[in-house]
Amino acid sequence: MQKRKFIMGDDAMAMGAIEAGVKVVTGYPGTPATEILEVIAKERPDIYTEWSCNEMVATEVAMGSSLANVRTLAVMKHNGTNVATDMIMHFAFTGVKGAYVLVSADDPGANSSQNEEDTRILLHTYGHLPILDPSSPAEAKEMMKAAFDLSEETSSAYILRPVMRVCHARSVIEEGPSTAPDREPSFENDRSRFVMSAVSEPKAGGKMRPLWRHELLNAKQAEYKEIAEKSPFNWIEKGEGHTGLVGCGIGYTYAKEALESLDLSLPILKLGTLPLPPKKVREFLNQVDRVIVFEEIEPVVEKMLKQICYDEKLQVEVLGREFFLPAEGELNTQIVLEALDKLAVAELPEDLKPFDRPKMPIRIRTQCVGCSHRSLLNAMKEVTRKHKGIVTGDIGCHDAGSFPPIELQSTIYCMGASIPMAAGLAKSGLGRPVVAMIGDSTFFHMGLPGLVSASYNRANITVVIGDNGTTAMTGFQPHAGSGINVMEQDVPKISIEEVVKAVGASVRKVNPYNIAETKKALEEAVTEEGVSVIIATAPCYLRNSKTDNLFFTPRAVEVNPERCNGCKICINDFGCPSLRYKDEKVTIDKATCVMCGMCADVCKRGAIV
Amino acid sequence: MKLDIIIAGVGGQGNLLASVALANYSMKKGLEVLGTETIGSAQRGGSVVSHMRISDKKIHSPLVPNGRADILIGFEPIEAVRNIHFLNPKGKFIINNYPVPTIFCNMGMEEYPSEEEILGALKARCSQGYVIGASEKAKDMGTLMMTNVIMLGALAGIEPFFEKQELERVIAELLPKKVLEQNLMAYEEGYKMVANSEANAVSA
Ligand SMILES: Cc1ncc(C[n+]2csc(CCOP(=O)(O)OP(=O)(O)O)c2C)c(N)n1
Repeated sequence: MQKRKFIMGDDAMAMGAIEAGVKVVTGYPGTPATEILEVIAKERPDIYTEWSCNEMVATEVAMGSSLANVRTLAVMKHNGTNVATDMIMHFAFTGVKGAYVLVSADDPGANSSQNEEDTRILLHTYGHLPILDPSSPAEAKEMMKAAFDLSEETSSAYILRPVMRVCHARSVIEEGPSTAPDREPSFENDRSRFVMSAVSEPKAGGKMRPLWRHELLNAKQAEYKEIAEKSPFNWIEKGEGHTGLVGCGIGYTYAKEALESLDLSLPILKLGTLPLPPKKVREFLNQVDRVIVFEEIEPVVEKMLKQICYDEKLQVEVLGREFFLPAEGELNTQIVLEALDKLAVAELPEDLKPFDRPKMPIRIRTQCVGCSHRSLLNAMKEVTRKHKGIVTGDIGCHDAGSFPPIELQSTIYCMGASIPMAAGLAKSGLGRPVVAMIGDSTFFHMGLPGLVSASYNRANITVVIGDNGTTAMTGFQPHAGSGINVMEQDVPKISIEEVVKAVGASVRKVNPYNIAETKKALEEAVTEEGVSVIIATAPCYLRNSKTDNLFFTPRAVEVNPERCNGCKICINDFGCPSLRYKDEKVTIDKATCVMCGMCADVCKRGAIV
Repeated sequence: MKLDIIIAGVGGQGNLLASVALANYSMKKGLEVLGTETIGSAQRGGSVVSHMRISDKKIHSPLVPNGRADILIGFEPIEAVRNIHFLNPKGKFIINNYPVPTIFCNMGMEEYPSEEEILGALKARCSQGYVIGASEKAKDMGTLMMTNVIMLGALAGIEPFFEKQELERVIAELLPKKVLEQNLMAYEEGYKMVANSEANAVSA
């Protein structure tokens, strides 16, 4: 390894965890956190890494390892933190043994997510766990290392909450010394902590144990605050005037940037911990009449400052995302500048004034050229249209089938929701066929309980599983059905077919590049009783394009302009980006076409051959 | 010294290699580098914007503020216009004139703007720039995949900070051996395009 490297924030956090002596790393892929685990798996085969089936499982596996007194890390995106919440609320009460760091990566602005949320609320406001919120890749690395030590110091899990602009920022990072403890795994029983149950606790004079653990968690807050007070991640920068800026995590960098570009020096409070350092905060509030809080995403620190002002009777105006700054979306330097302008603290220079850019056509993502999901979605569109069916969707590359031009799936929610929602629609008495569309990784993540429930409760639905052998959307992570794990060991594939059979559903297997075969299976499935599963298997094209592992025979097709009547079925119901429409005819862009030949099968006039 | 660069394109056009090349080049010069990609609606054919910040002082945020970019590199015309607000009016742009149609344009629900409209929109913000046929050239040379390297060659032609030979060496380190020679030829072509009349130099 080089000593200084230009790497992503995720890689920097991985480096921090390695230097801290992490022994077990678990997670489930999700932008922007995915690379942390991948980098550790790649760089350090001696560290145990796993893609768990879902984030709940990941946090539980990590807890098991923590009980053996080794340093553990669980990695996920904010939606994953939601999934893992039940376990998190439990280990908040029990505390941990070996250091336990949980990375909960947020995506302000939802650049790569189905929703945006601030997991500081879930983890700190609700779960009472301590959080570190990095402002840069370099600080994220230092926080990762610190989190391992602090977790052991306090016997509680520590959370690292990086945002997209930290995870996916690239900068020069330096290697540091190892802070790994020298100890072997060991296990000691401590049932008063690690058995969470409604039972009278002798150690607490017979008080109910959950109540006693809750008291201990509340008492811990003072310890976390002491740590925050001494933390190198919180500081005050002196400045002039009575308006102060509070920069939390990445918010600090936008505040700094704005002040530098205006040549202004205002007092700044840089914050990187939750709970807040109470003395430092008070010291800062005593210097100013007004503060603006820049934080991602919700007004969490802002409300805490308001509370402090109220409790301590401080006459300081606290502005932030509650009423003053945009309440949704990602911060940037422009937002800081406009806030200063609005308060007449500074005037914007001409080149920093907002610029009205001309409207350009909207661009939305779609499946890749050659993707097997596209022909599958096309077959589903045809059959469901004929039967007036409804399709519930799930997350994954196929979810773009819910956008124009295909507009097949009527719903997209959280992972695994397609199957239970289909069951609900079917049970409503609506009387229309209902089809759920789900990817293979998502099937193992949270699809399975929904399928079991649907089968047990005799729902009348069809479930289509787009089995491309990988977690494509997040960058090809292996899953239980892939036959390989993240440590690149060959493992037995868990057969989706066998699992589905065991659940008691009917199974049909198709090659999605064979549209006729797929349509036939769909026809049968939507007209039969019970849960009917169609497994559409074909490897992800983007990943396999340079291999022989393709499920279609390449064929060069052309549009016969004589026969093409410009009906646009190929564009509107299939939507391959290599198809172009000009002067009432379709043409094929040879530079991007990969010769899957599916457009020829879609054309009703035989104009593409 | 500071140089803020925006690279705007569509998923799959090779933004990332371009920004890593510029970062490695600047690091070799001992400068600070900070960057990020905003992978709009993900990789699959959605818009992709890379922010690359180079300076001899500490850089705070990974995002280039509006109006502060010195150079806008547009791998795709409408993506360039979509990000024109980042460009400083005194900066410069270099645009690949090869449209990647959108789904809505293909469906006939929106119209892809004409070359004049695009140029007009760029010029409304910034008076200095070049429009080149990078993708056409890449296609002629064998594969669209070389668009990014041609654009980097052109960048070396318009921005003195990037010394031609040195940037070429940095790019060479990033490319697989198999495609190296062809790509370096493409780089040279890109450089020549802005020097010769093949480029549509814009100035008002
Ligand atoms: C709870 C949760 N975890 C992770 C993610 C990130 N994510 C989005 S789609 C997806 C899985 C896609 O894989 P698959 O179901 O196999 O479909 P494919 O993209 O391969 O078609 C993941 C992990 C998420 N959205 N929600």
